[in-house]
Amino acid sequence: MVNVQNVTFSYTKKAELLTNLSLKLETGRIHGLLGKNGEGKSTLLKLISGLVFPKVGTIDTMGFNPSKRLPEMLREIYFLPEELPQLTLSIENYEKVYAPFYPNFSAEQFNNYLKEFDIDNKKSMLNKLSHGQKKKVFVAFGLATNTKLLLMDEPTNGLDIPSKGQFRRMVASNIDENRCLIISTHQVHDLDSLIDNIIIMEHHEIVFNQPIEEITKKLLFRVAERNEKTDHVLYSEDTLRGLYQVCKNTTGEDSKLDIELLFNAIIVNTKEISKLF
Amino acid sequence: MNTTFSFYRLGLLLNRFFVENKQKELTFWAIAIVVFMLMYNAASVGMFIIIAGFIFASRIYKSFGYTPGGMHYLLIPATHLEKLVSGIILSTIYFLIGVLISYMLGNTIGTHLGNLIFGTNNEVNLQLFDFSNKMQYMDSGTIYPYIDMFIGFAIVQSIFLLGSIYFKRNPIGKTFLAIIAFSVVIGLFEVFLLKLNFDITSLQHENININILDLKSMFPGAETFGQIIKFSIAPFFWVVSYFRLTEKEV
Repeated sequence: MVNVQNVTFSYTKKAELLTNLSLKLETGRIHGLLGKNGEGKSTLLKLISGLVFPKVGTIDTMGFNPSKRLPEMLREIYFLPEELPQLTLSIENYEKVYAPFYPNFSAEQFNNYLKEFDIDNKKSMLNKLSHGQKKKVFVAFGLATNTKLLLMDEPTNGLDIPSKGQFRRMVASNIDENRCLIISTHQVHDLDSLIDNIIIMEHHEIVFNQPIEEITKKLLFRVAERNEKTDHVLYSEDTLRGLYQVCKNTTGEDSKLDIELLFNAIIVNTKEISKLF
Repeated sequence: MNTTFSFYRLGLLLNRFFVENKQKELTFWAIAIVVFMLMYNAASVGMFIIIAGFIFASRIYKSFGYTPGGMHYLLIPATHLEKLVSGIILSTIYFLIGVLISYMLGNTIGTHLGNLIFGTNNEVNLQLFDFSNKMQYMDSGTIYPYIDMFIGFAIVQSIFLLGSIYFKRNPIGKTFLAIIAFSVVIGLFEVFLLKLNFDITSLQHENININILDLKSMFPGAETFGQIIKFSIAPFFWVVSYFRLTEKEV
């Protein structure tokens, strides 16, 4: 679906934002792109969609060179940016104007998603909606386009608590084996139980890219007593509820993945954890 | 699927403009009619059309003024050529037709309203289309003044259209500055040529014996060359705009 090969990118001549970055993304998965602020997550999404061009290296998005921004590619991509455009249109007119550009757009799905998000009045003007409401409209539209590739940059920012759950449900029901969703976020709890592949960026590079099943096979997430002696600990966090640990899974024991803990573990102990995969 | 140009997608892009700007457009044309009701002088009308025209052209790609807008526009599934052609149609053809209709309507309403209020009996006089007193058109056919008017207008629009793609913030001001900078360069080049040929820096109070009315015999082919240049300027800026659009990053 997406193949990024040895890409280097910079906004200015002085500092490179991404250096020699390579990444392969499979279809039928929800990829969570995690990283600290300024690591280049949004830029990577822009590179994949052709909004910026790599200085070095190549990108293949669904068999196209994204820099050419051909309509055959663009009609199969929906990009939900963190900051939304200011459009003086009603929801109804937004659908009328933009839906014909997407051949697989489903008006029925769009209406259902809006209903699920409690947006009843399609005559509401987009520029009069709150940021959260507007985001719901764009999420609903993006899912209803049924494009092969969905890129979402901080999609849960601005959504209220019930809407975050609705968002997870909608996305989970919408993604099938023909679609690929890349969600860039630093709000990892919002995407718990949604993403099935985790990509972590650190120092402007991809330092980790593994499916959930592989992670839980190789790593064990546990809460230990403070005085408990444990082997194979790769990372430990002292909290009020005890020691949150990421250990080598030597026994094949099942554990629930804690994305935040995994993220912190990888930031602190990248080499040791990477060796396991 | 047509990967170069599709009239269907062009239609969708134009529809997008009209739906998104319906309110603004209606307001602008209403204001234009009122202005033309009060404005009779051809020079003032021409000036209004030119100023309103380049403001309009500068706002065609206003989405590039802020990053989310630019991203949204560039990701619309249409080719760069379709996006450019929609911009040309809107800034050059749509605006010109709209402004001329507004002018005729405004002028007609204004004249009749004036007659009604002041008890006069004036006839509708569309001075903008009156070329009878212009020397250069006396020998030529009736269509030439209109072609020249259109070409002049298209050149201005094409320059400001390019400016709206090129400059992210304040495209009108920056395009003006670019035009001024270009004019200064041309002026300096002229001074350089004068100095080189006649050892002067200004033509004022200088007695140089060149009959510039006899251009044809002095430089055979100059008129044809001039015509080619005249017809090429707007397409040149459209081509530059196209390439600028293809390499646009947001």
